[in-house]
Amino acid sequence: MVNIKIMSETTLGEFEEIVVMIVAILDGDAYSVGIITEIENRLNRKASLGAIQTVLKRLEQKGLLKSEFGGTTSERGGKRKRLYEITALGQEIIDQTKQQRNSLWDAMPRLSFNLY
Amino acid sequence: MNKKENKPSQLAMRFFYWFCRPDFREEIEGDLMEQFNIYYKNYGYNKANELFIKEVVFLFRPSIIGNFNHLTNTHTMEIINQNKRLVTILALAIAILFIPLIAMNITNEVNWTLFDFIVVGVLLVGTGLTLELILRKIKTLKYRILLGIVLFITLFLIWAELAVGIFGTPFAGS
Repeated sequence: MVNIKIMSETTLGEFEEIVVMIVAILDGDAYSVGIITEIENRLNRKASLGAIQTVLKRLEQKGLLKSEFGGTTSERGGKRKRLYEITALGQEIIDQTKQQRNSLWDAMPRLSFNLY
Repeated sequence: MNKKENKPSQLAMRFFYWFCRPDFREEIEGDLMEQFNIYYKNYGYNKANELFIKEVVFLFRPSIIGNFNHLTNTHTMEIINQNKRLVTILALAIAILFIPLIAMNITNEVNWTLFDFIVVGVLLVGTGLTLELILRKIKTLKYRILLGIVLFITLFLIWAELAVGIFGTPFAGS
């Protein structure tokens, strides 16, 4: 019952799910430009800075991510980057999402795969 | 890489500074700069600048703009006030020059040549511009006062030297 409540309050969109997973993959080194690069490399998909920033802020508001300022580099014009980390709630949500997906895959009849 | 090519479009950057939530500015500006540098290495200046402008435009969305209140705070008033102050300082410098000019018409005790007016004019306008520079660049009140006092003492000493020659330099007056 509690899990259903959490899931309904923090349902992830497709792009949100990707961003949470990439943040988890980068393990403490996740920041917007790094996430964009990782999405391009792993999924061969373009993402704008605006889209990433919007999703990161939304996920942080939902309590799925937490952030803190990191270091600066000359390439960033001396501006600090904001590093994101997945929270316990974020981990829980992503685990539940995976379970749901798996159960849907398992429920699909094998017939679907014989079409091609 | 020349100096211009190190920097993306400043107009786009100003637009970003205007609309972006103040608490997001530092990180996103850093992201934009980092991306610009990546694009520059990969595609060259023109393409990098084009992509930079595109990124700024895509950032123009409610989640990045946030509360609309900060949009009216464009530092326009600060710039207007700074320019007003500069005009006041320069007007004051010219007004001071009118004192000997008027005095010359009233008494024979004051007898300035055109060269005197030019020298004192340069001195006063130079002091005024230096004062404006101090007020614009130095934000700490203590250092503003300190540098202001140093400036006016310097002005006084140069004027006194030119007028009566207290140090005996080649420019000393009599």
